Amino acid sequence: MIGLRSPAGQCMVGAKMAAAAAASIRERQTVALKRMLNFNVPHIKNSTGEPVWKVLIYDRFGQDIISPLLSVKELRDMGITLHLLLHSDRDPIPDVPAVYFVMPTEENIDRMCQDLRNQLYESYYLNFISAISRSKLEDIANAALAASAVTQVAKVFDQYLNFITLEDDMFVLCNQNKELVSYRAINRPDITDTEMETVMDTIVDSLFCFFVTLGAVPIIRCSRGTAAEMVAVKLDKKLRENLRDARNSLFTGDTLGAGQFSFQRPLLVLVDRNIDLATPLHHTWTYQALVHDVLDFHLNRVNLEESSGVENSPAGARPKRKNKKSYDLTPVDKFWQKHKGSPFPEVAESVQQELESYRAQEDEVKRLKSIMGLEGEDEGAISMLSDNTAKLTSAVSSLPELLEKKRLIDLHTNVATAVLEHIKARKLDVYFEYEEKIMSKTTLDKSLLDIISDPDAGTPEDKMRLFLIYYISAQQAPSEADLEQYKKALTDAGCNLNPLQYIKQWKAFAKMASAPTSYGNTTTKPMGLLSRVMNTGSQFVMEGVKNLVLKQQNLPVTRILDNLMEMKSNPETDDYRYFDPKMLRGNDSSVPRNKNPFQEAIVFVVGGGNYIEYQNLIDYIKGKQGKHILYGCSELFNATQFIKQLSQLGQK
Amino acid sequence: MAVDITLLFRASVKTVKTRNKALGVAVGGGVEGSRDELFRRSPRPKGDFSSRAREVISHIGKLRDFLLEHRKDYINAYSHVMSEYGRMTDTERDQIDQDAQTFMRTCSEAIQQLRTQAHKEIHSQQVKEHRSAVLDFIEDYLKRVCKLYSEQRAIRVKRVVDKKRLSKLEPEPNTKTRQSMSSEKVSQNPSKDSEERPVTEEFPEKIPAEAQPELGTWGDGKGEDELSPEEIQMFEQENQRLIGEMNSLFDEVRQIEGKVVEISRLQEIFTEKVLQQEAEIDSIHQLVVGATENIKEGNEDIRESPRLK
Repeated sequence: MIGLRSPAGQCMVGAKMAAAAAASIRERQTVALKRMLNFNVPHIKNSTGEPVWKVLIYDRFGQDIISPLLSVKELRDMGITLHLLLHSDRDPIPDVPAVYFVMPTEENIDRMCQDLRNQLYESYYLNFISAISRSKLEDIANAALAASAVTQVAKVFDQYLNFITLEDDMFVLCNQNKELVSYRAINRPDITDTEMETVMDTIVDSLFCFFVTLGAVPIIRCSRGTAAEMVAVKLDKKLRENLRDARNSLFTGDTLGAGQFSFQRPLLVLVDRNIDLATPLHHTWTYQALVHDVLDFHLNRVNLEESSGVENSPAGARPKRKNKKSYDLTPVDKFWQKHKGSPFPEVAESVQQELESYRAQEDEVKRLKSIMGLEGEDEGAISMLSDNTAKLTSAVSSLPELLEKKRLIDLHTNVATAVLEHIKARKLDVYFEYEEKIMSKTTLDKSLLDIISDPDAGTPEDKMRLFLIYYISAQQAPSEADLEQYKKALTDAGCNLNPLQYIKQWKAFAKMASAPTSYGNTTTKPMGLLSRVMNTGSQFVMEGVKNLVLKQQNLPVTRILDNLMEMKSNPETDDYRYFDPKMLRGNDSSVPRNKNPFQEAIVFVVGGGNYIEYQNLIDYIKGKQGKHILYGCSELFNATQFIKQLSQLGQK
Repeated sequence: MAVDITLLFRASVKTVKTRNKALGVAVGGGVEGSRDELFRRSPRPKGDFSSRAREVISHIGKLRDFLLEHRKDYINAYSHVMSEYGRMTDTERDQIDQDAQTFMRTCSEAIQQLRTQAHKEIHSQQVKEHRSAVLDFIEDYLKRVCKLYSEQRAIRVKRVVDKKRLSKLEPEPNTKTRQSMSSEKVSQNPSKDSEERPVTEEFPEKIPAEAQPELGTWGDGKGEDELSPEEIQMFEQENQRLIGEMNSLFDEVRQIEGKVVEISRLQEIFTEKVLQQEAEIDSIHQLVVGATENIKEGNEDIRESPRLK
């Protein structure tokens, strides 16, 4: 298969097709799941179709993949009566087909064979999240034979869905076994070659599944001498092998579907976490990133502990009960989709606005009720009756909409209030502003020591984060005396100094490798202490909280992407390796063959990523018409989790 | 893109079979195996739950097919104008309604029965959940099919109501006006849906024919083209009454208009006053805030004064 090169005069059809087929990876994965649930036949909605029922059996991996994409109601709509974990006690249910969605591991296969032997279900549709090996397939065949259940195994499929999609354009490799591929696992000094191989294989397997689902073969670029390079080499090899194998190639025309990337291929940029350690530690100011940083948020679900009411309990009264609530932040949540990248004060205002407009609509409906009570007595005026009924029907039909709106408003009020409490308690706005200044190398108005020694501002972890960012972005390391001073202040504030150990080593290594990365030079402007929010006397009283405005700045990852996507020449990215799995000659050349800018790119961070980078990429691409970015990482962590990993690394 | 490896699986089964044979392991291979399978299948509790559930589903399917088949004829408005073939009289329609309703009732009863029975039998929690979900699906299916029925019935009822409305407002029904009316209608609304025109054209014929079962007050429904003098007179009286009603309605509307205008004026004045008050309330607010401050300071001073003494 000769590599397809886009001609210099890019034809419009190609561009349109690429834009139209702009992969919403979430849609693709959802479609694939729905087809799987429909007994591996494409799913068509038929309003008067007969009901078909089935049970769904999954393992934890399958659960993580399905839960951000399909709600329980949607599963019901697909005819699933029960959904159960593979390794749970399951009773035989007669006369029902079972759909399995599991990883092909030893334990899972054993359990499936056990199910076959115990004759739990009527028929079995086995779907493996990533490809199953021939020997394991024979194990199942063996068990099926022993149980005389061969005809019951109706279909067996390799789904190639071994990744978790969180947003339309964001994916994560895994949630269950993240320790295996965590930053710590990749960067620890005592890792053996075989262990590294395993980690790389896991990552490559998921990336391979991702591209199969996407239906495209990318052009790969990566930096030299990093874990990302290892991933790139392996991925290139795997893709190449698959393309050469004409019989079983997963990228042939009919599997790609209509309107695929026939003219344009996406760019895959593999970066290593080590090029930018400051961003995961950064305090943030946009809604989604804040929720991830401050609250318990993963797989699009946020768990809140609510205290019941704000009354002052008299001394000696029983303590306030804390309710645990969890909310799903889904694509149908319009407010979330609109505001997840907005700065927090904007979010607070918008919630207020939504609440007001909801109240206005509610009053409309109430008014209608009283109008209805007065009229409708005149039997001769049938026309008036029908007019009122029209009003009624429109009111009734808008009621579910209103209720949904109310639910969302409540949800976001609760979430935003929780976030705001954290902000106020830990003075996160101060940290954010200060860190932005450090990262953009503008002059600092307060000394770092002051903030660290300030007992009111933030938890010890916040201070550690701040100091690490300072240390990472400093052109020269602080003098020994200064360092001692800082260390003392940090220890006084209650911080653990292990992460610092590791960062020192990292910095030394990074200095050898290349110049320290810069974060661009922009500023944040505080918009005055009294925001409009406070004046309207809303519940989001942000007094004392600065209303900071984010200025667009490109984080290192975004800059690298910009250079590679737009084919700009830059010393940072010029010596990145270049892989094209479709090329016959399988070697890398640093000279990219393709001279045109790319329309689609996928940025993958080996070693972990976070929402701040994601948001930065989204903001960057918003300005560019017709271009799309997907962001992925081997694991998703917030600053707390990252510090923990750094601390473990620093202990060695 | 998912890859179907079912064939691969079957091939593996064969491989394993031959391997086992070669190794001399007698594990459910060969003829006995398949016989075993058959035997093992039959005593399996097929469960009359599922067979009965499927029965109910097939019943509902039959109802749905029946409704869909006759739907076109049912909805068809000109069945009296068209040829014999596509016609469906009202009695037939009523019959369909009746049958459909009894059918639906029996189906929902069957579902209820299944539900109570499923709960009575002792089964594991999972099986119970599964069964109630299955019954929910069947109920949902029944609801969807019933929607078909209720939709077409709603169309029918709406048409009847429309006819009723037109019948009350339509003027002189004698042949002269009938023609002028129909031509009027034709000239007035050429673009209106053709449904109305045939309805109003045959209107005078329909009134005696249809009016009898519907309105029941128009004497012996003869279904002739001509109208007897009594009917003409009755229409004239009705006409007069309607004119009078219209006039009074018109007057009432006038009055209401006047009142509404007054109300809007009053509201304007009201809002003005409220806005004035707002300014005053603001100033009062300021004063109060100032007063509170003063009081606070006063308190402080008072507290300090004993110390100064």
